[in-house]
Amino acid sequence: MSYKIPMGPYHPALEEPYKLDMICEGETVLDAKLHIGFNFRGIEHLAETRNHIQAIALMERVCGICSFIHTLTFCRAMEGLTDQTPPPRAQYIRVIMAELERLHSHVLWAGIAAKLMGFKTMFMTCFEIREKIMDILAAISGNRVNYSMNRIGGVNRDITDPQSILKMVEKLEGEMAHTVIPIFTTSRTARSRCAGIGVLTKEHAISCAVVGPVARASGLPQDLRKDAPYAAYPEMEFDVPVVPDGDVRARLLVRALEIMESCKILRQALSKLPPGEFHTGDDKFNFITGTSTARVEAPRGEVMYSVSWKEGSRNPARVHVRTPTFAVMPAIRWMVKGARLADTPLIQASIDPCYSCTDR
Amino acid sequence: MSSLETIKNKLGISVSFVEQGGVHWLALDAAKVRELAKAMNEIHARFITITAYQLPKDEGFRLEYHWDLNGQLLGFSFTLAGKSIESIYDLCEAADWIEREIHEEYDLSFTGREYEPLLLRQGETPGVNLRDVVAVSQEKL
Repeated sequence: MSYKIPMGPYHPALEEPYKLDMICEGETVLDAKLHIGFNFRGIEHLAETRNHIQAIALMERVCGICSFIHTLTFCRAMEGLTDQTPPPRAQYIRVIMAELERLHSHVLWAGIAAKLMGFKTMFMTCFEIREKIMDILAAISGNRVNYSMNRIGGVNRDITDPQSILKMVEKLEGEMAHTVIPIFTTSRTARSRCAGIGVLTKEHAISCAVVGPVARASGLPQDLRKDAPYAAYPEMEFDVPVVPDGDVRARLLVRALEIMESCKILRQALSKLPPGEFHTGDDKFNFITGTSTARVEAPRGEVMYSVSWKEGSRNPARVHVRTPTFAVMPAIRWMVKGARLADTPLIQASIDPCYSCTDR
Repeated sequence: MSSLETIKNKLGISVSFVEQGGVHWLALDAAKVRELAKAMNEIHARFITITAYQLPKDEGFRLEYHWDLNGQLLGFSFTLAGKSIESIYDLCEAADWIEREIHEEYDLSFTGREYEPLLLRQGETPGVNLRDVVAVSQEKL
C-alpha cells in the first residue's frame, strides 16, 4: 500500500520553504510532486515600477547568496540597452567578485550537505572558511551580503590593493585544499552517504535542461564562462570539471573541484588586474527601445535576464529573470524516484536549491 | 550548413535570423511553436525559458522562447492575437514550470496539456492575470 509523505513547506532539512509531496511504498519513494511559490514577492513586476538605479538594488535582493550575479546579469542587459562597454579593470573586478561569490556559495552548500550527512564537524569547518571568504568580499565591497558593486558601465568600487586580497585568497586556498577538498573527495562517510543515491541520468539531465554543477555532475560539459564567455573570462585559464555518475557524490565532487578552479581564476585575475578606470563615468543614459538579454554562470548555473525598455521611459517595461534553480528543481522528481525516504533531504539539498531565486 | 540554416530548413521558412545583442532572433507564426520545439530537439538545443510580454491596450501578448545551442543564444518571438498557444511540454519537459508560471501570472493558456496544482497560488483560481489584479486593487486604494 502506498502513502503520501509531505516534506515542507517548513522542514528542518530545508533552508527555505518549498514542498515535496512523496508517494512512498515502505521506505521507497515511488514518485514526487514539487510545490513552489512560498517566497513569491513579485520582483519582476516591482522592477517595472523602479528606475534604472532603483532596479539594480531591487534585483540584488532576488537572492541572498548570489546577489552579485543578479546585478551583474541585470547590468549587462542594461549595458546592451544603453550601448555601454565597461572598461577592462571593471571586467576583471566583476570576475573577481563573481568567483568569490561562487566560492562562498559552494562552501556554504558543502557545510549544509555535511550537516545533512551527519558530519557536523565538517559543517563547522565549512562555515569557518566561509566567514573568511565573506571577510574578503567585505574588504572589497564594504558589505557581506548585498555588495552594491555593479552599476551600468562598470563597478562602484575599485580593488585598490589586489596583492593583499591575493594573499588572503592563497591562504584560503591552502585551507580548503587541506580540509574541505580531501574530506569530500576521499572520506568514507561522504562516500557511504552520497555514492549511488539521487541519480540523475544524462538523458534526464538533457530532457529537464538542467544547468550548472547539477548538469556537469551528470556528464554535460556546459559552462557559460567557456561556452559564451563574458567580462574577463576569455582571458582566464581554467577547466570545467565534469563527472558522469549523476549521483549526489558526483555533485559533491564537481563543486569541490570548482572551488579549486575558482581559486585558480582568482589568482590570475588579481595578479593581472589591468590599470585604468573601473566604470565609464556615465550616469545619464539614453535607453534604446527594445529588449536586451544577458546570461551569466552563477554558482548554481545559468542566470538569464531579459530586460525590455521603451525610449523616454523612466522604468523598464518588463524584466524577466530565469534563475538556475528554476531550471534544476523539477529534476528532483527523477532524483528521488526509487530512493530511500531517509536519503531525500540530502538528495534535494544536493542541487543546492535557492527557493528565493526560484520564486522571485 | 550552419546550425541556423538547419533550423530554417527544418521549419521550412526563408526568413533569416537577425542577430541583436548576442541573440539570434526569428519571428514566427504561433502555429509553428510545436514544429520549432521538434526542430530544437533534433539539433540538441537546450531549452532555457519563455518570456511573456503583455502588449499595450488590447494588442494581445508576445512570447519569446529561448534555446541555447552550444553557447549560441537563440530567440524565437511569437505574437498572440488571443490568449492561447499550443503547449510544448510533451516535446520539451523543461518547459513545464515556465508554461505553468505564465498561465498563472498572465492567464494565458497552453493548450493540449493538463495543469498540475498551481505553482504560485495553490488553492486559488488558476489562470488570473496578476497585473489586472494589482491594477484593480490599486484602484480600490
